[in-house]
Amino acid sequence: MKNIIKILKFEYLSCVKNKAFIIITVFLMGIMLLSAFLPALLMGLLSEDKDDENGQKPVISISSEVYDKALIKSEFESLFTETEIKVTKESINELTKKVDSGDYEFAVKIDNELKFTYITANNSLFSEDYQTISDAVKSMYTVKTLDKYGISQAETDKIMNTKVTFETVTTGTDQSKNYLPVYLLMCVLFIAITTYGQLVSQSVVSEKNSRAMEFLITCAKPTHLMFGKVIGSGLAGLTQLTVLLLTAFVSFGTFSSSIIPAEISEYIQLPVSTVLLALLFFILGYFMFSFILGALASFASKSEDLNTLTAPVITLLTSIYMIMVFMCTGDMVDSTFMTVLSYFPISAPMAMFVRATMTDISVWEIALSAIVQIITIYLLGMLAAAIYKIGVLMYGNPPKFGEIIKMLKMQHKANQK
Amino acid sequence: MKIEVKNLKKRFGEKEVLRDISFSTESGKALGLLGRNGAGKTTTIRIIMGVFYQDGGEVLSDGKPLNREQIQIGYLPEERGLYPKKPITEQLIYFGLLKGLSKQQARDSAKKWLERMGMNEYKDKKLETLSKGNQQKIQLAATLLCNPKLIILDEPFSGLDPVNAMLLKDVIREMIDNGSAVIFSSHQMNYIEEFCEDIVILNAGQIAVSGNISEIKRSYPRNIIRISSVQADKITPFIIRSAGDEIESAEKDSKSDIVTVKLKNAEYKNSLMQSLLQEGFDIDCFKVKEPSLNDIFVQYTEGGI
Repeated sequence: MKNIIKILKFEYLSCVKNKAFIIITVFLMGIMLLSAFLPALLMGLLSEDKDDENGQKPVISISSEVYDKALIKSEFESLFTETEIKVTKESINELTKKVDSGDYEFAVKIDNELKFTYITANNSLFSEDYQTISDAVKSMYTVKTLDKYGISQAETDKIMNTKVTFETVTTGTDQSKNYLPVYLLMCVLFIAITTYGQLVSQSVVSEKNSRAMEFLITCAKPTHLMFGKVIGSGLAGLTQLTVLLLTAFVSFGTFSSSIIPAEISEYIQLPVSTVLLALLFFILGYFMFSFILGALASFASKSEDLNTLTAPVITLLTSIYMIMVFMCTGDMVDSTFMTVLSYFPISAPMAMFVRATMTDISVWEIALSAIVQIITIYLLGMLAAAIYKIGVLMYGNPPKFGEIIKMLKMQHKANQK
Repeated sequence: MKIEVKNLKKRFGEKEVLRDISFSTESGKALGLLGRNGAGKTTTIRIIMGVFYQDGGEVLSDGKPLNREQIQIGYLPEERGLYPKKPITEQLIYFGLLKGLSKQQARDSAKKWLERMGMNEYKDKKLETLSKGNQQKIQLAATLLCNPKLIILDEPFSGLDPVNAMLLKDVIREMIDNGSAVIFSSHQMNYIEEFCEDIVILNAGQIAVSGNISEIKRSYPRNIIRISSVQADKITPFIIRSAGDEIESAEKDSKSDIVTVKLKNAEYKNSLMQSLLQEGFDIDCFKVKEPSLNDIFVQYTEGGI
């Protein structure tokens, strides 16, 4: 046990002191800060752009012979709040000239009750002005038509602006509110298990490649080496993950709360219980896959062999992730198949996380799945150590699956003697 | 402390790689474990180290199964390598800790061995920045960190220049004098002869010959005599003339003043020496020609694998 602690400490410090590891962490923190800060910054810049150098609002010109000036003003002012609305009877040519010279931000020539010409200097790919103008014209047409039938503009506005209010009472878990954070965390879970699992396999193969293993294997038991390595790299991963999650919480909490509308922020709330469940299933999933990856890596003589050896496991992990995505998007998180997956050890970390956060299940179900996973991890750990002991002193082409089984049987026989 | 290897057997699949290997060594002694590549030396060493399980036989220390957690074993593998990207002291401390030393002991021991190896100036450097010879010295320091009672050295001199080889020889001698038991595996027979009283030659997984080197050499026929004298030209015809019935041949070396005489019976050696002295020849050296360790090795391992 003492040796496991020494090995895990060495592995942990090796990881967190590694330049690449530090650079990636700082880079990701930077990306998070930037992605939280940038929208706020851009919105600030864009809102300042609306005013010209003299602090005056940009002007929009609406030229119309068919609608009443007051009606135009009231409709357009309610839709274009950051601009000054000027109602004229200018011709297309005059409007074009003034838009071109910059006098007008853009201009609209209403040709008849349901047809308009939009004149702009630069037509942005993301501009929604067409749609807004179209809505305004439609609204003016409605008011004008209803007016013919003796319904006043005030009454029309009242009818058209009537809102239906509703409330949802959810007795279990509100999937609509959980979907986005769970989906994101599942993605993080998948990336974290894959990435940190590969840290273990890289560490094994580099020790073997440098021949340090020849010496190391005589200093500590393979079981201690394997467990120390997996726990050490896992703690390093957990450290990085914690740092990144904290950065995300702080940065998005600080910068984004002011710019994200309440209706949207309601859907990206991250309850602490969800984060804790993500951490629990990260730890379980990480251990399960790291032992497998570490054991397989022990057969690689050089880094190039690693991809071939670990590809089936990574493919399996990716497949589980894809199934989870289909289950979430296909609204099948309550299905029997999903229940089976949440107890099947290999798929349980992701499947149980999804079920625990998106459906209403009992705590004992989560506990049972976790126990199944812990038992599997222990068995995999022992198996991985046995494979590791055979693999680390083996050079040349990696053995086939059948050969590994044969060697394990032989080792088991020898151990019994 | 007496280390005994008794009737070791090991198979890898269908291949029997060790068959009834037995030998022993004790504190203050060095044993040479010899054999051609693939003879089973490394497998034997790995079984002693506990890396492989044997299929049969046992490894004993003072008559009891070797407890590797109680008896410190220092191992210098043939395939050298530590952590190339780690500072030297940091990894030496790590290995010391794994060998059961406290952090302070590991630090002190690392310092002591780095100084002894003349590597103190590199203590904070990464291993990969050192030359191959210096990396080997660091590996030896890692081997000896825990003050091992049993030291297993696999080709310790390969890649070392004469000065470093001398340093290593001094260190090994020191460890033997301090009471460590050393198992020495090498193809450089001169080093084996220098350090080891006993040898074990493995051939195709079994012991071809083992025992005290001098006794092995003495077991060979002692009927070839080499006589060194400035009068070699006169000695040769004298021997043929005076002792023609007792010898098989007498020849002078064409390039030196050495006469090689092959006796029919080794016991005639003393009579021959007396007759040469009575005749008044000026003799520099009169010596029985013994086989070299190299000759013994080749004889026992040729065509073995």
